[in-house]
Amino acid sequence: MRALDEPLPRARPGLLHGTPVAALVGLAAVWAMAMATLPEAAVRVAGLAVAHGALLGTALAWTSTGGRRDRWAPLEAGLVLGGAAACASLHPWGSLAYVAVPAWLAWRRGAWLGARAWQSAPAVAGGALFGLVLGAHLLVNTALTFGYRVRTGPLVELAGWWAYDLGANVLAAEAFFRAALFERAYRRWAFAPAVALATGAAVLRYLADPLLPRSLGMAAGATFYIALLGAGSCWFFARTGSLGPSLAAATVFFGAYRLLAPR
Amino acid sequence: MAIVIALALAVITLAVAHSGADAASPWRHAYHVPVVVAALRYRNGGTLAALAAVFLYAPFVLPALEREGATPAVLEGLLTFALLLGVGVLSAALAGGVRRQRARYETLATVQRALDGDTPIDLAVARLRACLQGRLDATVGLAVHDGTRLVVAGGGRVARGSAVAHVLVSGAPLFVPDAGGRGALRRCFVAPLGGRGGVVGALAIERAGDIAADERRWLPVLAAHVGLALENARLAARQRRFADELAEKVAAATRRVVEMDRMKSEFVAIASHELRTPLTALQGFSELLAMRRFAPAELARIATIMRAETERLGRIVNDFLDLARLERGLAPPLRLARVDVGALIADAVEVLQRARTTHHFEVDCADGLPPLDADPDALDRVVKNLVSNAVKYSPAGSRVRVAARAQEAPPAVEITVEDEGPGIAEADRTRIFEPYYRTTAGAKAAGGAGLGLAVVKSLIDAHGGTIRADNVAPHGTRMTLILPAVP
Repeated sequence: MRALDEPLPRARPGLLHGTPVAALVGLAAVWAMAMATLPEAAVRVAGLAVAHGALLGTALAWTSTGGRRDRWAPLEAGLVLGGAAACASLHPWGSLAYVAVPAWLAWRRGAWLGARAWQSAPAVAGGALFGLVLGAHLLVNTALTFGYRVRTGPLVELAGWWAYDLGANVLAAEAFFRAALFERAYRRWAFAPAVALATGAAVLRYLADPLLPRSLGMAAGATFYIALLGAGSCWFFARTGSLGPSLAAATVFFGAYRLLAPR
Repeated sequence: MAIVIALALAVITLAVAHSGADAASPWRHAYHVPVVVAALRYRNGGTLAALAAVFLYAPFVLPALEREGATPAVLEGLLTFALLLGVGVLSAALAGGVRRQRARYETLATVQRALDGDTPIDLAVARLRACLQGRLDATVGLAVHDGTRLVVAGGGRVARGSAVAHVLVSGAPLFVPDAGGRGALRRCFVAPLGGRGGVVGALAIERAGDIAADERRWLPVLAAHVGLALENARLAARQRRFADELAEKVAAATRRVVEMDRMKSEFVAIASHELRTPLTALQGFSELLAMRRFAPAELARIATIMRAETERLGRIVNDFLDLARLERGLAPPLRLARVDVGALIADAVEVLQRARTTHHFEVDCADGLPPLDADPDALDRVVKNLVSNAVKYSPAGSRVRVAARAQEAPPAVEITVEDEGPGIAEADRTRIFEPYYRTTAGAKAAGGAGLGLAVVKSLIDAHGGTIRADNVAPHGTRMTLILPAVP
């Protein structure tokens, strides 16, 4: 028992301690240059790499155990994501290149995607079930509310979105909002304020996402589902200390979300 | 019950759908029933059931909102969301509060039960930890001062700088939101155990998850209760030990009284016999003198015998008187004077030597013995008693040696009386100075009331001296008495 056997841990540094400012500024500079010089398609690739790279890299830097290399993780993540996004823009099946991102992350941070993340099989299954319930509810609700249908193809398009979610969208969000931000907040505060911070930040990130359709109904729906998904994922993370269950939940939920076919 | 609640929610949803899927369907109120039941039955059940109800009811309200805008029916539906969530959260909080209070009372009762009975402190603390661990749904550690040491349960030791060490020093509760380490976050809370003399230990709980503010307010109360319960258990154990010791002492005293009674009875019998012997002699000789006429030489012999018997009678009576004083806790009266020990020993031995011709007497007094400030009559009785005993308990023809030598620091005179008898058994050696006590071998070998050595010891004590008995090789007894000399 740590309270008996080990000295009290040192006081935790601030909430934003260890933010890789230089690398983030570098990413912002890259994006600004791309905006100024590159065509729209290339700017979209750069924007995607910069946004997800910033989240993923900051998560790596915040959870670093002291390696100097993690200070430049946003640039490294931006490069990997940029490469995958470029492949996706060049060929319909190029989206499958996003699979390289989890492979890279597993190499960089084994604890997040390695064996430890999946060792609690019931928790991972619970996370997947949670994502499935949310996703099913989303499909039913949007069908009733907006009259959306469920699509089953074309496969190349669905596979592209799923690969994007798996390699960029879900991975970056879970790494930053759960493994980094929520983890830091929860080590300082009670569960409720930590969840409020992490989930609120995640909702803001999705509301600011240019890929989300601009309508009040969609914004309300996104807030509702992302808030529920975020709170549930935080609960799983707090219970297990592992990213596996929340990754499973988010992957399944976004998998269902991509099945929506707007009228 | 969970299945019944889930079925109820599903049935109500079907009823809402069957009645026209209206956003303001009257069936919506029925959702409150499973929500309240779940709140009463399960921890957080009310909140989860309310969320589930909102989740199930939303597909009837949100599409209407999208199609028709904020109509009164839609607003009623939205209000139902708020009501369901409010009722769910509130009833869950109320039911949770009641459940927590009941659990806390049960925990206090469990603590009392765990410390019931005469259990050693290590076992009691381990048992207490096990029962608290089950009740608090957390890893529990206990450190309790046992007067001389710190008894720890739940860990090997109290590490320097640990949370428990802090609380033992400061005496104030400590909440550690992050106990360190990798994996799921663990929080810990440590509360001091109160006792009569301040902090007697610490109660630590550690959990992967929250330790709510309400629980943090209650844990010091529990710790105070545990501290008092431990203190009570310790006092009860001490009282039981004290009662046992007292009973043992009373039993020993009773045994001693019974033994004394037995020895007194024996003494009365022996004393009667001892008194009867000289009295019979005196009676016989006095009758002879009354009836017959004797030649002067014979008359002198009879007179000598009668005087010796009278002296013997006097000695016995003196012993009785001394014993009576001894039993009243009074020291024998002394008439102190400057005494030359060497001369006193020589005179006493010479008198005895004339009466007892069966033994060889040796007197070895060192030159220049310091004078004693003592009662000469008492000292004479002491020496004669010891020499008489040596003669009585050693075979005829053996040697009796009386010696005296000076001791320097502190100035004293050591007198030893040594015989060649069988010696004194180890068990008897400490008891021979008790009144009425007679060794088994001694009782067989010679008569006597068992008073001589008790009187000798009381006289020596009154002089501020000491006496002890030792066996000497190859056989024999040495009585050594040390008397303080005039500096």
